[in-house]
Amino acid sequence: MALLEIRHIYKNFGGLRAIDDFSLEANAGEIHGIIGPNGAGKTTIFNTITGVYHPDQGEVWLDGNNITKLPQYKITHMGIGRTFQNIRIFKGLTVEENVMCAFDPQSKYSIIGGILPTPNRIREERRGRELTRQYLDVVGMLGYKDEKPENLSYGNQRKVEIARALICKPKVLLLDEPAAGLTPTEVSELTDLIRKISADFGFAILLIEHRLDLVMSISDTIHVQNFGKTIASGTAKEVQNDPAVIEAYLGAEE
Amino acid sequence: MKLFLYVLTQVCITLVSVCGIYILTGLTGMFSLGSAAFMAIGAYVSGLLVLKAGLNMYAAFAAAIIFSVGIGYVIGFPIVRLRRDYISLVTLGFGESIAQLILLLSQFTGGAFGLIGVPRRVNVWFTLISAVIVIAITAFFKTSKFGRQCIAVKSDELAAQAMGINASRVKMTAFLMSCALTSFAGCLYAFYVGYVGPTDFGWKKSADWVIMVFFGGVNSLTGSIFGGAFLTFLPQYMQALNKYRYIVYAVLVLIILNFKPNGVFGEWELSPRNLKRLFSPKKNRREDV
Repeated sequence: MALLEIRHIYKNFGGLRAIDDFSLEANAGEIHGIIGPNGAGKTTIFNTITGVYHPDQGEVWLDGNNITKLPQYKITHMGIGRTFQNIRIFKGLTVEENVMCAFDPQSKYSIIGGILPTPNRIREERRGRELTRQYLDVVGMLGYKDEKPENLSYGNQRKVEIARALICKPKVLLLDEPAAGLTPTEVSELTDLIRKISADFGFAILLIEHRLDLVMSISDTIHVQNFGKTIASGTAKEVQNDPAVIEAYLGAEE
Repeated sequence: MKLFLYVLTQVCITLVSVCGIYILTGLTGMFSLGSAAFMAIGAYVSGLLVLKAGLNMYAAFAAAIIFSVGIGYVIGFPIVRLRRDYISLVTLGFGESIAQLILLLSQFTGGAFGLIGVPRRVNVWFTLISAVIVIAITAFFKTSKFGRQCIAVKSDELAAQAMGINASRVKMTAFLMSCALTSFAGCLYAFYVGYVGPTDFGWKKSADWVIMVFFGGVNSLTGSIFGGAFLTFLPQYMQALNKYRYIVYAVLVLIILNFKPNGVFGEWELSPRNLKRLFSPKKNRREDV
């Protein structure tokens, strides 16, 4: 059984069929790219996996557990981390606190420790801070830990978001258009980072991306979506030559 | 001097409840117009327990706070699942119904006459120490995992949940903390004034507290305390203004929100590190370059 198994999920919004029979199997260490024109239902797939919506039909299994109907925060605890298409960093917290608050659900101290500096609190806070710094170092943002995230460049905000997802200890990492709005240098930095974390942490990565060069170069398998349907899936070479894909992207030949 | 001590006591009692509102509104972004009802519950329950049941004052305080938290838990269930604007409506309704309930239960509460003859066992020093302890507790809460999660939920609830934060539970924790603190303020009030009236705890009082938090800086505990202290001192020392208190309030809040949308202090907190930064601007500038 694969690490992540998405079995024939469907999702309708009123009359709109956002996901029409999507299936995927991902194993540890693999990178899956999901591409397709705007409105093809890519982000809806991510939102359905992470529990923002629940699918109308079909199931999502993670590491042998059915996570289809779990609330969003529990799905994260089970081992799915994500970043967002339009960056969703917490304002009012520093870079370090942003990452640390994703560790906080795992932090073990009670409300007594919430209002008094108990030894337990001090120990857990230290553990959280050390882990946070470790992950900030992985994404190369340790030097910015006391900054306000909204003052950082777009690329650096993305890295903070990735660190925040990493500290949730995911088995599967979902990256929703990580290269959107980045400069070419930032894109190549990001590509290296994704390769690096994929090799170091050995989780499965699902990647939605419009930059075909990025997707084609790092994905093991590519799924092409159009109007909610999967029109092709396979390696980069296979989908590039698929007539259905060419039709969806360039239009049919007259 | 006597006036000063009287006002200081008022300020300290207000600060205890403002800390509660800071946790609820400042940290978690929930607007309550019914928080004063928890002050009423604290005042009445502690007062009644001492007057009718002859309980020790401290035990009565503890019982009143636990009772308020219990009530808060029940009405918290719908509240933490609601959107921000609806929270104000539910708490407003709750607050006004508590006021009516106090009037209706007149055989216990004294109805419109209020609760008379509560022993005046709380003095200015007691309230001062209480306020300092409550402020310390609030500061610890802010820097704990609870405080961080509250800010995350306020900033972006969906992203917070995607990071494994149980948003309903975080909001419930903040709400119950706020209930406990406002209820404690009620206990102090009852045993300082010696009288509890049913009209002392309307939605205007809750709105006052929210204004204080916003005035001082909604993201800053330092600011909220400043707001609470300043806006309580001001009307007491400008007796001539007292009639126009709400106009002064409104004008001040409008001016602040217009020119400093995040309040007087914004996000700035009084801490040794921030003070050092403030007084060594040169070093700060070098770091920026």
